Amino acid sequence: MNTEFEHCIRCTLCVENCPVFRVDKDYPGPKQAGPDAARFRADNEAPVDEWVRKCAQCKRCDVACPYGVNPSELIQEAQVRYSEQHGKGLAATLFSRNYYLGLLGSLFAPVSNAVTGNKGMKKLFRALGISTYMTFPRFHFHTLSRSWQKKGKGKRKVVFFHGCYLDNNSPDLGRSMTGLLADLGIRVKVPKQVCCGVPALANGDLKLAKRFAAKNASILAGYIDRGYDVVYACTSCGNALTQEYPGVLDPPEGKKIAENTYDIHEYILMLMEAGEIKPDFAPVKKRVAYHIPCHLRSMGIGYPAAKLLRMIPGLTLQIHDDNCCGLSGSYGFKTTFEDNATHLGRIAGEAILERNPDLLISDCGACRMQLKHFTALSTMDPTELLRLSLSNKPCPSLTH
Amino acid sequence: MKTGKYDAVIVGGGISGLMAAIDLTRKGRRVAVVSKGDPICCLSTGCIDILKGVDSPRDGICDLPENHPYHLVGAGGLDRAAGLFVSVMKEAGLSYVGNVGQNRWILSPGGTRKQTALVPESMAHGNVEENETLVVIIFKGMKDFFPGYVTAKFQNADVYEFDPGNGSTLGIATKFDDPAFQEDFFKWFKSQKISKGKIALPAVLGTKPQVFGELAQKLDRKIFEIPTLPPSIPGLRMFKALKTCLQDAGADLYWGRSVESVEKDGDAIEAVTLAGIGRSTRIEARAFILATGSFVSGGLYARQDGVVKESVFDLPAYVPENRESWFGHNFFETGHGIEKAGIRVNGSFQPESTGIPNLFVCGSILAFSETMKYGCGHGMAIATGVTAAEKCEDHLA
Repeated sequence: MNTEFEHCIRCTLCVENCPVFRVDKDYPGPKQAGPDAARFRADNEAPVDEWVRKCAQCKRCDVACPYGVNPSELIQEAQVRYSEQHGKGLAATLFSRNYYLGLLGSLFAPVSNAVTGNKGMKKLFRALGISTYMTFPRFHFHTLSRSWQKKGKGKRKVVFFHGCYLDNNSPDLGRSMTGLLADLGIRVKVPKQVCCGVPALANGDLKLAKRFAAKNASILAGYIDRGYDVVYACTSCGNALTQEYPGVLDPPEGKKIAENTYDIHEYILMLMEAGEIKPDFAPVKKRVAYHIPCHLRSMGIGYPAAKLLRMIPGLTLQIHDDNCCGLSGSYGFKTTFEDNATHLGRIAGEAILERNPDLLISDCGACRMQLKHFTALSTMDPTELLRLSLSNKPCPSLTH
Repeated sequence: MKTGKYDAVIVGGGISGLMAAIDLTRKGRRVAVVSKGDPICCLSTGCIDILKGVDSPRDGICDLPENHPYHLVGAGGLDRAAGLFVSVMKEAGLSYVGNVGQNRWILSPGGTRKQTALVPESMAHGNVEENETLVVIIFKGMKDFFPGYVTAKFQNADVYEFDPGNGSTLGIATKFDDPAFQEDFFKWFKSQKISKGKIALPAVLGTKPQVFGELAQKLDRKIFEIPTLPPSIPGLRMFKALKTCLQDAGADLYWGRSVESVEKDGDAIEAVTLAGIGRSTRIEARAFILATGSFVSGGLYARQDGVVKESVFDLPAYVPENRESWFGHNFFETGHGIEKAGIRVNGSFQPESTGIPNLFVCGSILAFSETMKYGCGHGMAIATGVTAAEKCEDHLA
């Protein structure tokens, strides 16, 4: 039995950081849902704590805790146990299979977009437990995995882990990212891959998540053995590869994956510091709000994109790392949590608008989608801003 | 990952480390702050206690035992530190009142009066006398706030209850951020026809700094916040103001990981490496500031054999020799011997007898600070943080 919760001194720093606790009076917060309740959870007793599902797994509690307790892990364990005993519900089952939905969605893109964008379908979606305050991200047939798989020349070789969102919903952005790496003199390959496993884990399906992890780990480990580094841009995929693979998802090569996987900005910075590349940043005169995705914070690597963006002359960076956007992957797409998600979206959006920025960036596609909805600002991925500065001309800018 | 060389890396993200970092970034230095978690100041009242039991903390520090770290700061250093703190807070929209030359009183949730020096604007009217008329507004379902403790101390005190639809300090404060909720509260307040007296509320008037001012103007009465048990909203407001200030100035924050190893180049510290689940992060700097706090924050730890160690750089720590003298007989008495434990520093805030030229130490990890006994936690944090940063700047220049 994991007893790290014994280190909890009940200081409530985790509670101060919990977005769901802020807005949902029926959620007791990470201290009670995690270490406090862990003392009462017995392996041979049926779980009764349905409210653990309210946790959005933003992991802000883990980052806040100075005593090494990871409340979100304890809660996740309880979430999985609860789902195994009591079922996940239809919406959660669907979202845990987000990977397959994405495959289908992109293959029949025009049809799927017509369905998800159809106002008349709203009732059906709601009946299925799917929230409708935002339209679904559009699907694209010309996905990353259906694109040309190799780019760039150079000493450094990377495989790009795009995950589901970039592949099915933002493939142009994905191609822009591999293009950025190639332009910097890095050899990029887009390997075969499946979902990182986070949607399955977040929706209570540990077995499916482990299956995805094992598949990816075996593919990526093969490349690592051949001298490739793994680079991701989606921070939730990154959190899975570097934190959950050597942890709860535990594929045989988990540690190797974590040691050789880099955030795209972290990788560029590393090559700059090693003197291998010397990008020349042209001015971009913009006030930029940077919403830090929760899963970038939880990796403990600082904010590498912020470091790069600060090198761009004329750019003013406003960092927002105190608010979860509320969508948290598929969390906000479930009607059960729609109120929490929209409330948190409003809070995060207002904080951004208060500082009057020209545009909004975030590494996470889901955060961008949610905050575009709540701020009406144009949104970009940090890599797009880098490309803008490096090429000194606009790149295919996607406003998701 | 390597991070490129910083001018200074501050280990410890509490109020002392953050103030040190702010001072250095304002002097144009490239700074990073490393913290394994959120600091205890988030749980505090948000008030800056400089020295209790005296009229003037600025004068009072002269009378402290000669090994107290305040002597290394001096009255001038205290003024500079407090000035920087107040101006940083003001830029973040969080006004502080008070000065280092005159202590003041605020009302505690136990109904007692607490002595402090700098207080957030929202507690400025908290210096109530027992014969004043007091109106306490409480919130339905709010845990850990018992108005009876407060009203028992006053001859004329009334309690009114408002139902905010959420019972936690953070939940209520979040509601107060919303102008529509403020309006509901205002309408309710008008309907109660409260004619006289100062209005006291638990400290939940918005997570944002501007909410208190907006409400005070609307209500057009003398209102003030009473600090609560954690989660503490005034502590959170202060921490976020410090953090935002630092990020706007371009400092990098590494949060949620502890220092795993330290590399030296001769006597000097060259880099610290942060523990990571996969790869670790190595951070190089020309100078380092240690601001990890005392035992509770994990800056110091005591071994079974009675040896006290410093957690990050393995510095020698002072501790009273006889273990019997570590603790007094009553838990709640102040001045337990163990409170003297910590790092001894020279006039430049460098750890004594280590020969490390580029390490500076500040905050409650300093030996002989006895923050509980002297009621000087945040004051010491700010004063030694800024002074250590000044010494660090001398070293860098």
